[in-house]
Amino acid sequence: MQAQVFKAMGDPARLTLLSRLASGEGHTIGSLSENLGMSRQGARKQLQVLVAAELIELHKVGRETEVTINIGQLQQARAFIRELERQWDQRLSALKAFVEQTDPSSEADG
Amino acid sequence: MQNIIERSIRIQASKAAIYAALTEADKLTQWFPSSVEGDLTPGSQPLFGFGEHGKSRVSIVAAEPHHYFAYRWVPGANHCEGDVSLVATTLVEFRISEAEGGFCEVKVTESGFNELPADIKADAFKQNNQGWDYMVNRLEQLFTEAA
Repeated sequence: MQAQVFKAMGDPARLTLLSRLASGEGHTIGSLSENLGMSRQGARKQLQVLVAAELIELHKVGRETEVTINIGQLQQARAFIRELERQWDQRLSALKAFVEQTDPSSEADG
Repeated sequence: MQNIIERSIRIQASKAAIYAALTEADKLTQWFPSSVEGDLTPGSQPLFGFGEHGKSRVSIVAAEPHHYFAYRWVPGANHCEGDVSLVATTLVEFRISEAEGGFCEVKVTESGFNELPADIKADAFKQNNQGWDYMVNRLEQLFTEAA
């Protein structure tokens, strides 16, 4: 799922769509795809990629399709790199604790 | 390329002692994986065990006493037991250098996030080489805009 999220966000048109959604510039496929430089059909196709990555959801409301953003999933993508950094900090601390406790020659070799 | 995580720490020990803690299974398991099945030599693909969190196969890329050790793995996943050469991986590198006062600096880098998986590089990053930072910045912006 992470890979799908990154793929979904790696396209300028899709980022624009997400940005418009996030800033409240539109919440239907019609309003989101205005001045996007692509057809409504094209916008729908890009939105489907975001749906597959669970970044947004589409709901049919009458003749329009309403789009809602999944902030949680976006935060997850950002959190991924932070989590990896945190893990490395933990591992390095553990390495330090282990080596300093078990290397009697540290002074001599220092 | 800005698709790198970089972390470092200062350790009061010799380069040899630190290198041993990275490359000898009985020492490595004292601080990192809880078990190691296989060799920690270049070309080998040992299996790192993380207890109840699963196992992850890594591919040892280089081992140069006493300053450099590198392997590839699937980041953030402890469930990749297959041939890691067949899937998208990141490169983890440890560099040990001497610092003053009997300390050594251990620097770890993990890189290759924008090649994860290959189709990201092929289509999404074709027009944008900044990769990871670009996306993170966009995310920050999205949240700021949304707030």
